[in-house]
Amino acid sequence: MLQRFFSGRRVRQLREYLTAYLMIAPATILVFVFGIFPVGFALYVSLHKWRIKKGDFRGLGNYLRAIDNLTYVVLFAIALGAIIAAFLILRRILARKREEQDRKAVWLIALPGAVVSAAVYTFIRWTVLLLPEILAIADEIWGLEKTRQLFMGLLREAVSTPAVVRAWWLFLGTAAGGLILSLAVYYLLRPPRFAAYLADFILAWLALPLGAGLLWVVFQDVQAAYQAALETGTDPGIWPQVITLTGGVVLLIAAWRLWKAAPEQQGTIPFLWRILSAIGLLIGAWLLIGELPQVIAAGDEDMWNGLKVTAFYSLGTVPFQLAFSMFLAILLFQNLWGSEMFRMLFFLPYVTPTVASAAIFRQLFSNRYQAPVNQLLMSLGLEPLQWVREPQGVFSMLAESAGMVLPDWAAGPSLALVVIMIYSIWTYVGYDTVIYLAGLGNISTAVIEAAEIDGAGSWEKFRYIIFPLLSPTTYFLSLIAIIGTFKAFSHIWVMRQGSALGTTDTFSVVIFSEFFEKLRYGYASALAFVLFAIILSLTLINQRIQGDRVFYG
Amino acid sequence: MADSGIFQASGSVARQDRFRRWWTVIRKIGTYGFLILGMLISITPFIWMISTSLMTLGEAQGIRWIPTELHFENYLNAWREAEFSEYFFNSVQITLITLVGQVTFSTLAAYAFARIEFPGRDVLFTLMLSTMMIPAMVLIIPNFLTVTWLGRIGPIKWVNNWPALTIPFMGSVFSIFLLKQFFAQIPDELYDSARIDGAGHLRFLWTVVIPLAKAPMMVIIVLSFIGSWNALAWPLLVTNSPEWRPIAVGLNNFVDEAGQMLNLMMAGTFITIIPILIIYFFTQKQFTESIARSGLKG
Repeated sequence: MLQRFFSGRRVRQLREYLTAYLMIAPATILVFVFGIFPVGFALYVSLHKWRIKKGDFRGLGNYLRAIDNLTYVVLFAIALGAIIAAFLILRRILARKREEQDRKAVWLIALPGAVVSAAVYTFIRWTVLLLPEILAIADEIWGLEKTRQLFMGLLREAVSTPAVVRAWWLFLGTAAGGLILSLAVYYLLRPPRFAAYLADFILAWLALPLGAGLLWVVFQDVQAAYQAALETGTDPGIWPQVITLTGGVVLLIAAWRLWKAAPEQQGTIPFLWRILSAIGLLIGAWLLIGELPQVIAAGDEDMWNGLKVTAFYSLGTVPFQLAFSMFLAILLFQNLWGSEMFRMLFFLPYVTPTVASAAIFRQLFSNRYQAPVNQLLMSLGLEPLQWVREPQGVFSMLAESAGMVLPDWAAGPSLALVVIMIYSIWTYVGYDTVIYLAGLGNISTAVIEAAEIDGAGSWEKFRYIIFPLLSPTTYFLSLIAIIGTFKAFSHIWVMRQGSALGTTDTFSVVIFSEFFEKLRYGYASALAFVLFAIILSLTLINQRIQGDRVFYG
Repeated sequence: MADSGIFQASGSVARQDRFRRWWTVIRKIGTYGFLILGMLISITPFIWMISTSLMTLGEAQGIRWIPTELHFENYLNAWREAEFSEYFFNSVQITLITLVGQVTFSTLAAYAFARIEFPGRDVLFTLMLSTMMIPAMVLIIPNFLTVTWLGRIGPIKWVNNWPALTIPFMGSVFSIFLLKQFFAQIPDELYDSARIDGAGHLRFLWTVVIPLAKAPMMVIIVLSFIGSWNALAWPLLVTNSPEWRPIAVGLNNFVDEAGQMLNLMMAGTFITIIPILIIYFFTQKQFTESIARSGLKG
């Protein structure tokens, strides 16, 4: 056996592995340190009061401040999701077992699976305990001469804090236990497809405690809130809120599925089916509409404002940008003389460094009456405007000039935000045009020719052939653009003016200013996770819609 | 007509009357009209920038569109007095360091992921791919804390120095992904014959794979260049003196602080744009394609 182990082939293989690990090491380490570890670190920061330095543990406090009781709803949903995921994995195990007619011994793999996932959790616990000690090294070293020895000494000290040491041994114990159990099960029982089953069991065992733990946390927190309210004699009303919001979402999803499952043909039963799902949709929407404003009122004003601005920004840019670029792409696709040049120039705004083009726009739309756009207005006999400094909504400005007064909710995006929208459309039309040109290139000419033989005019060709066949491109671009509005930062940061009173601050800008200007690291991290959740759910919803609506010729 | 554009009428033999000919002409004029309108909207801001950058301060603040005299010394002033030369060379250094690191590390990792089988390969790669959907705002705060920590304990400064500005961007999942896709297509026979000649992985990578992969390498270089030339949020955080401030941050600060000196500001803006413009005009095709393929400009 020893001889086999050290045979030439084996050594060569080990060397091959080692080469591979060395080659991926630099990039992988960097991605882990600056791309994966920060997610956990951000979560840690978001659970604390953290203003430059780490403060007290606040639990869900930061999230509650941002989105109030919606925190509980979201955590509740994630917990349910984790439990459902565990259930689905178990079902997969069952299905595979039945299909492959594997022996009963398979269920024994659940045991090492449980211990291994416990090892994962103990490892996380160890890092969470170790992290503050490691962070503290930087403070202890402050002012001293930085030597390697000193650092190693402090590091050793950090690692050997009693609590950390205990956590470390616990992790080692469970990890060793998991390893021994796995090997024992594997060598004693020789179950088939061991690795696949073990992986599934580990996943299931990871998901289950996560769901249960989250449920417990939510329950504890809500309970504590009720206790606190009891002393002051008020009713926090969290449970009703959680139940109505969750119920609303669940009803909406269920009714939507019911609607889609309704039989296609006419008749009484499908009709009843539709009616039923429509009622479900209505009630779900009603619950949400009734309850959400209260949550919004109790949440952080800046954050909800940021969401509103982002929504305006999406609605005001994405449709226009797509319409213009589709139009331009169709014009360019005719292979006219000079179309290369046109394409190059349309793309120019997109290529320009964002800070530079935003600086130009800030001057073009400056509030000075000598600024180009104001000059244009004056030459048309209109009053110069404040543009980038104007916090008033455009609809209410229009109404005012017509002598009416609009209520606050109908004021619309501020004029300052409209300038940013114009900038955004100007920038992205070129990019979208290039993608649309690629999409047009994929449409087969045979389809178009067939339509022409059938006597279709230009409009019919566009409406019934080109537009539907471009829908995957449109879908892709709109997804990128909507997610882009949530990430938008640089150009808004450059054009942002104090006198616009925050009416141009999209979600990312709100996060950055909480962090950079107000130095609330913990709270900004919590907001960043809210953003993450929004982007994730947008992607998921979009995937759903894509399945239904996009036509792949 | 040689092209096969979908709007060319191909079955219209029967109705070639005069009306139709006129209609074609009108349509052509309309098409060009819209294209020229679009072009004007695209380039007017640039023309205004260039013309303002050549004016005196009085003219720039006035209502003129065309300078009476061309004051090229504005560029010298912006370059010297407004410290744009310093910002410019900072950006050049930052960009080059990032570029070299990112391209080297990504090529090595992509090669190993594509062509060597080793335990944990798929798990690692999936884990790395999954980081692509994490928004930058989630990462920016913990990374800032990490970088300050590293600077405090280590032998070199990180904040206000090149490491903080370059090292976090050297591990790029997107570059690895793009290169891996390409490397995986290279036939195994090439490697086998190289190995018979006594070449190891590194030698094979250097002499065979990289020369074959010029196009994707170019894409990565261009994207990495734009990425670090344009970055604003992160450099804003980790630089607080002109010593290492890149040009995007320098311009942003100049816009805020010296808002009145329009002519200098526009000269500085143009200086910021020039390197990207040069790359764009020389590598236009790859440039367009690489951006279109990634959609990753901030």
